[in-house]
Amino acid sequence: MILVNYIASFFLIALGFYCMAVKKNLIKICIGMGIADYGANLLIVSVGFNPGGTAPIFTMSELTQASFFVDPVPQALTLTSIVIGACTTAMTLSLVIRLKEKYGTLQADQVRRLRG
Amino acid sequence: MSFDILWFAFHILIFPGLLFIVVMGVLLMGINNKMVARMQNRVGPPILQPWYDFLKCCGKETIIPRRAQKFVFIGAPILGFAVLITAALFIPFGGSSVLSSTGDIVVILYLLTFCSVMSIVGAAASGSPYAGVGLSREMVAMIAYELPFVLVLLAVGKLAGSDSAQGVTFSLATITEWQTAHLPVICHISMIPAAIAMLFVIPCEIGMHPFDIAEAETELCEGTLTEYSGAPLGVYKLTHCVKVYVMTALFTALFMGGITTGMVVVDVLIKILVCLVVTFLSMTLPHAVCARFKVEQVFKFYWTFVSALALISLVLVWIGL
Amino acid sequence: MTQLFDQFYNFVGTDINHFPIFAIVTLFLGAFIIAIVGKLNKTLRNVIVFIVTIIPFLLMLSLIKPIMIDGGVINYWMGNWAPVGEWAIGIGLEVDALSLFFGLIVTLAVFIVAIYSFTYMNRDSSLENYYTLFLMLSGALLGLVLTGDLFNIFVMIEIMTMTEVALTAFRVDYDGALEGAMKYMVVGSLGSSTVLVGIAMLYSQLHTLNLAQIAASLPSHQNAVTAAAFAFLFIGFASKAFLFPFHPLEADVNAVAPASISMIISGVITKCGVYAIIRICYILFQNIELPAVSISVTLLGAVSCFICVTMAFNQHNFRRLLAYHSISQIGYVIMAVGLGSMFGLEAGLFHAVNHTLFKGLLFLTAGAVQYATGSADLDKLGGLVKKMPQTCALFLIGAASISGLPPFNGFASKWMIYQSVFEKASETGNFVYVIVVVVCLLCSVLTLASFIKVAQSVFFGQLNPEFNKPEVHEVPVVMQIPMWILAGLCVLFGVFPNFIQKYFLTPAATAAFNVTNYIDTMLGQGTAAKAGIQQTEIGTVSSIGCWQPVSWLWLLLIITCAVCLIAVLGSNDNKKHATALNAEEKVSDLVGVKQSGAGRLNNVAADASLKGVASDHLLSDQELIIISRDRTIEDEVLAGEDPKYENFFSGEKSEFSQVGGSDLFWGFKHDMRHYFNFQKDWHSGNVNDYTTYGVAAIAVTLVLAILFL
Repeated sequence: MILVNYIASFFLIALGFYCMAVKKNLIKICIGMGIADYGANLLIVSVGFNPGGTAPIFTMSELTQASFFVDPVPQALTLTSIVIGACTTAMTLSLVIRLKEKYGTLQADQVRRLRG
Repeated sequence: MSFDILWFAFHILIFPGLLFIVVMGVLLMGINNKMVARMQNRVGPPILQPWYDFLKCCGKETIIPRRAQKFVFIGAPILGFAVLITAALFIPFGGSSVLSSTGDIVVILYLLTFCSVMSIVGAAASGSPYAGVGLSREMVAMIAYELPFVLVLLAVGKLAGSDSAQGVTFSLATITEWQTAHLPVICHISMIPAAIAMLFVIPCEIGMHPFDIAEAETELCEGTLTEYSGAPLGVYKLTHCVKVYVMTALFTALFMGGITTGMVVVDVLIKILVCLVVTFLSMTLPHAVCARFKVEQVFKFYWTFVSALALISLVLVWIGL
Repeated sequence: MTQLFDQFYNFVGTDINHFPIFAIVTLFLGAFIIAIVGKLNKTLRNVIVFIVTIIPFLLMLSLIKPIMIDGGVINYWMGNWAPVGEWAIGIGLEVDALSLFFGLIVTLAVFIVAIYSFTYMNRDSSLENYYTLFLMLSGALLGLVLTGDLFNIFVMIEIMTMTEVALTAFRVDYDGALEGAMKYMVVGSLGSSTVLVGIAMLYSQLHTLNLAQIAASLPSHQNAVTAAAFAFLFIGFASKAFLFPFHPLEADVNAVAPASISMIISGVITKCGVYAIIRICYILFQNIELPAVSISVTLLGAVSCFICVTMAFNQHNFRRLLAYHSISQIGYVIMAVGLGSMFGLEAGLFHAVNHTLFKGLLFLTAGAVQYATGSADLDKLGGLVKKMPQTCALFLIGAASISGLPPFNGFASKWMIYQSVFEKASETGNFVYVIVVVVCLLCSVLTLASFIKVAQSVFFGQLNPEFNKPEVHEVPVVMQIPMWILAGLCVLFGVFPNFIQKYFLTPAATAAFNVTNYIDTMLGQGTAAKAGIQQTEIGTVSSIGCWQPVSWLWLLLIITCAVCLIAVLGSNDNKKHATALNAEEKVSDLVGVKQSGAGRLNNVAADASLKGVASDHLLSDQELIIISRDRTIEDEVLAGEDPKYENFFSGEKSEFSQVGGSDLFWGFKHDMRHYFNFQKDWHSGNVNDYTTYGVAAIAVTLVLAILFL
């Protein structure tokens, strides 16, 4: 069950990287960055998953050695990472808008005044 | 204490320091010129001609072009000469060197570079387009000979360091000791290609005739020296002479050092003789025989043929032959 | 003085543990304050920026004694979430000597850039945004090097990337700024994602994010997943240090970002990548001693070094050229770090700090040139030494340092690198290291060549008539001060390398090897031993004592004086007698007569032994002054119209004919044209290509890691 998650997450990451490397459209590159990020997020959440565990919500008194719950740390990490991902996307899209104004194109292979 | 300082001053300024170095440089250069002339069936200038040139230059007016940056223009040749003398003090010449350290080969390498850089900076400061082309060529020549030079130094360092704990040495003192204990480096068959490579490096480092692309009189009007006149020009000429001494002495120290008879005077005389032979092989012969190379030819020659020779030695030494 | 220090440390007591977090928070707080009040008043804004950048620097300086000298480690648990049963739950800061070393680099650079920005940026609008972003960037950088938590490193990297992108695009109208920012965004996010994946994989095996705890439990949990995690983390951090094949990115970004930000990128952000690489190789995975890792890292450094130095040859843009050189120097650092020896690490660290100093200096001079002329094009500039003498001097110091000319700092650290590589070569008998030494020395010459090119194209040669106007002049003093500070440090570090080694490099390198201490301080005594981590033996360190710049400088000074004297005497004697004697007579005079003025010259020149000692008696100071006064008057009169002061043009009419930029080094470029053309095509400027190189690098590293770890 959890193996599917791992395979899916690495598939997403690879897909995202593929998008970034191959797609010429800047918007699509941005989408690729998003996909790679989601893959990484899925990976982190899956890492913290314990089959049959409960939600990690306890008060100090309820917490015993026997309590069995999913790892809360990755969930916190994922939240942080999602926020960062959203930032990245917003930032990229704003850059894309300005680039379109300036260069008049969204094609990555035409945005290459800096080279060599 | 004060006696030590005096002795140190004597070493730096007289023997084997400034005075000795300059005299040796002038003599080697003069003899070289004479030999070239004889080989070309000319009479040739007197042996002390480089010295006369220097004196005459010092007596002439120094013209600083309007476009030149005065401070750098004047300072560069002087600093270059001083650095070269410092480099020369690291080279043992009949007995031990004035300065020595565990890494003096690297120091010498960098000081020689520094000296060339000073002539380049001086040329750049003159504002002349001829000097611009000249400094560009000088730099290309530097890149060209640096690769084989480094390879040769590594090969010698590896061979001579085989006794030490580190396995490799960067110290000329260690190299000399090793040669005293064993045979001189040149006697090892694996080092002969390196010695030949070094013989080719010497004229290019000095900027002697077939490799004097930076000063090509006919095309570049003396290149880096175009705007120089008077005393700075004299200092440049003297630097040129001293370089002859430094490079031949370095060759001697690297490949034929360590032979001692116990008497300093005899040692020094032997060294001078060896220097003369090296001068003849590396400078006189090519000078008399070859016409000037083109820039790209020099570069190709050093990065293929000469580097290959040096590399052969390095590999042979590394696998223990 | 010592008493004062003692009093200070007594007064502070254990509160010194709060200093690291205080330093980080100050920068972030400054960012928010600027965002609120920055618009109101320019002076207020600058004062706030000055204060919040100098405080972290002072705090880091005050940590030198407890950490560098006493060898302590400061750890600080955020919100006092101390570890429970050896499980670190909270986020901790852990400052050992290695962290502090990089912390000092970061805070110093940030402080200097802040001062420089006051003037440099004064022609831009909405500067409160600039300073907000800049302070956030600084805070992120400082947080990255001081933190003891892996995920925190990721967060800091993301803040860094984001602010960095925004700052690159800050001058939106500058040609290419948006493009550079976009590329950095895409490839940077590739790197960040890679780091994140690495962290996730590591967490899946160890269930902790604390660096110390990871270090404690990793050796007993080595498997394919941790090997892959190492590969991901390594390549992620390498992308932050812009190592090969991420180097085109840095060139693109640095060419368009404001010069102050360029200094931060090449001087500090790359260092953070280097720091993270050292951290994971030495502390976390402790695998640098494996030959496979060591050789790969060293080779990576050598390749970066060589490719970037040759790429720099082809550049026509001042800042782009500097950017390539910065990766080339980082290549040196990584090369030395990869050796895995104590001395090698010291060499790497020394070169890292030196690189910050001289590359910072060079970027700031580039900024100054651009500030004065509005151009960074090497084919257009020229002859600026007459207009900007101070900047030229500063540039020459920086260029001499980066080319490793003695006695500047670059020489000392390159010396250490050669020595360490060669020690390693003879230790292992591996020919690869010999090749690395040759590459090192060759790159050094090529570096020198490209700085000669810059010197000739920008500062020397002839002044482009376009810039021969009064608006082009020396930059303001406020801009010069930070540059002089950096230049001074360049010289100081070059002249006193032993001091630096004793008080900074050795503690920092020791800390990198002292894993047990790192773990024990964080998680309590004995944890490391329980986890089976052995105290690594710290070998004896070679010293760079053989390099004694001070005595040399004296020597050089004496000889220079001697030579100067001949030259001065020679030229001045001529002044007096030139009218009386024609040249031929004079030579005979010089050789024969010893009494006349010309003869005196001969006397001096021939009897060189006297030069240093007795020179004063030959020509009194008074005489010298008179002569020099004569000369200046003469010069002024003559320099007016006399054609003999023109440059030589073979009888042609003189016109603007600057040899610079792409004109230089023809023979070399011609012989290597196939290589250069290949490189040019390869650095296509297309963001897809850059990503492809990055992905390929990830794939290769993964394969290597799985095969060898």
